[in-house]
Amino acid sequence: MTPPLPPQTWPDFLAGRTRRHFLSRCAVGLGGIALASMLNQARGATPAPAGPLTPRPTHFPARARNVIYLFMAGGPSQLELFDHKPKLNELNGQPIPQSFIEGKRFAFMDSSHGTRLMGSRRQFARHGRSGMWVSELFPHTARIVDELTMVKSCQATLFNHAPAKLFMNTGSGQFGRPSMGSWLNYGLGSECQDLPGFVVLQSGPRGPRGGAVNWGSGFLPTTYQGVPFRGSGEPILNLTRPAAVTADGQRDALDALRDLNLQRAVATGDPEIATRIAAYEMASRMQSSAPDLIDLKAESAATLKLYGIEDQRPSFARNCLLARRLVERGVRFVQLYHTNWDSHGGPGENLQGDFEKVCREVDQGQAALVQDLKDRGLLKDTLVIWGGEFGRTPMGENRDTTGRNHHIDAFTMWFAGGGVKAGEVIGETDELGFNAVKEPMHVHDLHATILHLLGLDHTKLTFRFQGRDFRLTDVHGKVNHRMFA
Amino acid sequence: MRRPLPLRVLLPLAAAIGTLPAAAAPDYLREVKPILTQHCVRCHGAAKEEAGLRLDTAANARLGGASGSVVRTSGGRESLLLAVVLNTHEDIPAMPYKKPPLGAAEIALLKAWVEAGAPAPEQEEPGRFDHWAYRPPARPPIPVVSAAPAGWTGNPIDAFILQRLAAVKLAPAPEADRVTLLRRASFDLIGLPPSPAEVDAFLADQAPGAWERVVDRLLASPHHGERWARPWLDVARYGDSNGYSIDAPRQIWKYRDWVVSALNRDLPYDQFIIEQLAGDLLPGATLDQRIATGFNRNTQINQEGGIDPEQFRIESVLDRVNTFGTAFLGLTVSCAQCHDHKFDPISHREYYQLFAFFNNSVDDGHGGRRSRSTGVLTLSPDGKVDEGLEARVAEVQEQLEALFTTHAAALEAWRQALPADQRKAQRSASLRAALDVPWEKQTFAQRRSVYPLARPGDAGFKTLSARLTDLQRPVPGAITTLVMEELPEPRASHLFVQGDFTRLGERVEPGTPAILPPLRSAGPRPNRLDLARWTADPNHPLTARVIVNRVWQQYFGLGLVETENDFGSQGLPPSHPELLDWLASEFVARGWSLKALHRLIVTSATYRQSSHAREDLALVDPLNRLLSRQQRLRLDAELVRDAALTASGRLEPRLGGPPVYPPQPDGVMSLGQVKREWKASTGEDRYRRGLYTHFWRATPHPALAVFDAADGFSSCTRRLRSNTPLQALTLLNDQQFYEFAEGLAERVLRERPRAPLAEQLEHAFRLSTARRPSALERERLAALHARRLAAETGEPGARERAAWIAVARVLLNLDETITRE
Repeated sequence: MTPPLPPQTWPDFLAGRTRRHFLSRCAVGLGGIALASMLNQARGATPAPAGPLTPRPTHFPARARNVIYLFMAGGPSQLELFDHKPKLNELNGQPIPQSFIEGKRFAFMDSSHGTRLMGSRRQFARHGRSGMWVSELFPHTARIVDELTMVKSCQATLFNHAPAKLFMNTGSGQFGRPSMGSWLNYGLGSECQDLPGFVVLQSGPRGPRGGAVNWGSGFLPTTYQGVPFRGSGEPILNLTRPAAVTADGQRDALDALRDLNLQRAVATGDPEIATRIAAYEMASRMQSSAPDLIDLKAESAATLKLYGIEDQRPSFARNCLLARRLVERGVRFVQLYHTNWDSHGGPGENLQGDFEKVCREVDQGQAALVQDLKDRGLLKDTLVIWGGEFGRTPMGENRDTTGRNHHIDAFTMWFAGGGVKAGEVIGETDELGFNAVKEPMHVHDLHATILHLLGLDHTKLTFRFQGRDFRLTDVHGKVNHRMFA
Repeated sequence: MRRPLPLRVLLPLAAAIGTLPAAAAPDYLREVKPILTQHCVRCHGAAKEEAGLRLDTAANARLGGASGSVVRTSGGRESLLLAVVLNTHEDIPAMPYKKPPLGAAEIALLKAWVEAGAPAPEQEEPGRFDHWAYRPPARPPIPVVSAAPAGWTGNPIDAFILQRLAAVKLAPAPEADRVTLLRRASFDLIGLPPSPAEVDAFLADQAPGAWERVVDRLLASPHHGERWARPWLDVARYGDSNGYSIDAPRQIWKYRDWVVSALNRDLPYDQFIIEQLAGDLLPGATLDQRIATGFNRNTQINQEGGIDPEQFRIESVLDRVNTFGTAFLGLTVSCAQCHDHKFDPISHREYYQLFAFFNNSVDDGHGGRRSRSTGVLTLSPDGKVDEGLEARVAEVQEQLEALFTTHAAALEAWRQALPADQRKAQRSASLRAALDVPWEKQTFAQRRSVYPLARPGDAGFKTLSARLTDLQRPVPGAITTLVMEELPEPRASHLFVQGDFTRLGERVEPGTPAILPPLRSAGPRPNRLDLARWTADPNHPLTARVIVNRVWQQYFGLGLVETENDFGSQGLPPSHPELLDWLASEFVARGWSLKALHRLIVTSATYRQSSHAREDLALVDPLNRLLSRQQRLRLDAELVRDAALTASGRLEPRLGGPPVYPPQPDGVMSLGQVKREWKASTGEDRYRRGLYTHFWRATPHPALAVFDAADGFSSCTRRLRSNTPLQALTLLNDQQFYEFAEGLAERVLRERPRAPLAEQLEHAFRLSTARRPSALERERLAALHARRLAAETGEPGARERAAWIAVARVLLNLDETITRE
């Protein structure tokens, strides 16, 4: 029998044995290659083996490498923020002409849905060299308009929150489809060895409707699913070792585990064991990289001031800064959710004080993020996306106070960096802000365009499931080249 | 978008065409028609006429479609047929559409036939699309294999496998060692690892038939039903909450327990189908048979405000149709929801004929808050149903209705005369609303609330109404479960144009796809029970094949048909077509017994092979489709828990009952829209099998989700087996897994007190992996133990325990521990 060896030399021993007894006769097997590479890594040499997250080539040169998606959950009112409609103000209180709403379906049709037009009470002004309209509610955002492509003609298909949010994320209202971040990690791989390629951060009074399916990987391998980080405390579930285990104890356990797993890998020749060993190493690195990520001590006072971060509490602004730190570390897709934009006019949801409050919660952070990315030279490679799952109707809704119903025929989203044209407005709505009358961009078109910016052809990024090839854009989607710088 | 044919196709093609004399007209029926039938008529036939063209008869080919005749040649130009198969046409894409091009010999035949003027006999029978899975399985003979290795002669499965291996000159792998075999079969048949005593007993049993005895013991275990219920519950999209954004809890665990029990008593699979699809419609349906119909009720329920309940009722019905197609037929019928199926002969209309079977149940789209009867079965805490209760409720309701009818005129007069201010003064909104509705149009509940206002002194009403309240009062601790319940009159079903329920197309009646066997109906209008019986017919081409393939998949990682959810023409052909058909016919012949099928597979030599990688397969069969070895398979999410729990000695083996709440990290429940509480179970319920963990669809237990548990949103026929850092973090740091490590450490010290370290390590290793460690492995663990013992502080007992917890954590994290080899 083989004599017992000092534990620290195990990888060397196994590497030798593997080469002799397995690899030499099985040089072409993927498993053999992965295993060899794993053994080298365990001995402190050479990079990680090819895996599902290995960076992959794009279909054509990419304009953006990373995405930060600021998801305004609930559907912010474009008519109070960006889509300035003097005519709507003029017709305030009039019934909407029948021609607009013939054959349309709305949420809450049976109860509070209103049919009278409601003007916006907000003051609008043109800003920047581009002269984009922004209302008084977004003073900080107004200062960065020359960095933005503003799309005023976005269109969606579903008008209830959960399915609409799914639609915006996965291109389908059905559960079980992969979200955009999963598709991108599947298509491009990850540039980050220490953190997941798709990270989700949340702020606001509650989680977004639909919850985890919004960042699910659907039928794609779970490797690609979004990992929700908490903005404070432990950023990932089970990241902290059990209370009774010391750092040394954890390392000792991981070392023994790696050696025993290597032994089994050699005995069985199964490449899955090599993947598992790599997964434990990544997990171990995340135990230090993730706490480091959320520790803002290294950020200057000026940076904290730019974002408006004053304390340790979780907030949208704090998440914006974390988003920048994630992108700096190579994380492919960062998604921030902020609630609550659902301004029906019910308690806590009116277009007066409540709306002002949620605007204040996001305005400074989102403007600071774009500015900060630009100052650090990260904006050119990072696509920032801002928008909700739909917009709001030009008609008012009267519950306890004033509000607006869900609207899918025209709403505004904006984009910055990552190869989009700075200071550009795309699309136009009619004089009431009801329909997109110029350059309508459906969610599928947005998806196609976003994938294009990342260097992916949306018709070629496919995954075979249940007997057919699925895409983020289903059988739809048109790239809008006008958005590109 | 034309792609030129690669040169290697064109060259022999040119040669082949050149060698054929133009005048030699091929025999249409024997040589040409099979080509057209196999490659063209699926899209250009009776079921579907793409571009207005049919190629199922020569006459139709001459007639042509939107682009004219396909066989006429004019002015020296190529015929359309040739142009498209050669991909030389300017506009029309290469045919067969999105499929590999025809072979050179086939093209040569078509060319010769067209040039001869496309001759064909008159009165031709149209060619029909033909696909293996739509033909009933013919029972093939068992191959005779010369020189079968020892142990490979008794089981017909092995003959089929050996025949294929011999064709590529591969020998099967040697049999796995006995310990591996026992652990493999234990996980496969009961989902739990063998105890060291069971291992010892099997090693000691050298008499013939030892393996069969083990298999029979495992098949008789009540845990068998738990193990095999799980993949079926995946197919049935089982969950303990309503899904969508609100994700309120629901009770339907009686259905889960029904599946466990049905599998344990080996309910024949045909009956298993019938009871789940239509148990409620069986004559004299038993309580169990009604509970079984929960299969159809595992749909999500949207309780969000502002929705159109009808839209989500229809979503549920669509989901039932899609699940029916996936679960029993192995077909992607959902493709036909918006249009004719692109690849399989299932029309848009036929989809809605299936829809019509499921469109008649009483449940609404809003969780039942708006209708009187909702398909909820209420049972007393001991699981019984008060059989006479429904009749008594109905009787009182009828008496009340009679009262309402008697006084209808007076009540309506009173309602109309009621002054507006009195109307407004009513306490509840629903009562105010009811008073706005004419008596004739009021619901039963509305009438019941309005009546006492109009006739306050009616003692008869008071008695009856109080009686009804009494009868309907929930019993404390009552159990409910969702079941199917048919409306007295079926709803009218329509085709939805492009799948949009607001755009009603033609009206449809219940029916099954024409490509499959005809439906027989017991009554004038076919119902769900007829559909269930049609599905469970022994001659159905799909039902038996689909289930034997799914069972096979559990044992080998992949099915004989790798696309276990698509037996249609887009799916992959079976790796061993004869074996699949033999198994399907054998399964039916043995009375649809799933346990007989399990026994057949597990006692084969094919199953008992070693799972070690084989270097000689790297090029010949890298994916092991020919099964010249077994497969290492990472355990399913629930079994990852069960394996560690068993090793810890803390498993509470009780079967069934309401879902339980093992610990999970803080903050999981806040990820959903509605924050819900997760109060970790204490006592025995903390240590139940993973099958019983409460499954919230929106926020599933992270230790299940991270190991790829099915999501409960739609029918899942195969789980992914991902391998991620989050899994590593779960096994390393999750509270429940740490508790299991504590349990294992304490167990070893309890069961092997004062034993030498080597013996203790061996015991712990056996509890985790069933086998004894090699000297190397034991050495490595001893080194860890020594290191931790030196590093820990405190009194010796505590140090010993801490060192042992470290060892136990390593053992429970081993790839081998969570893998069935």
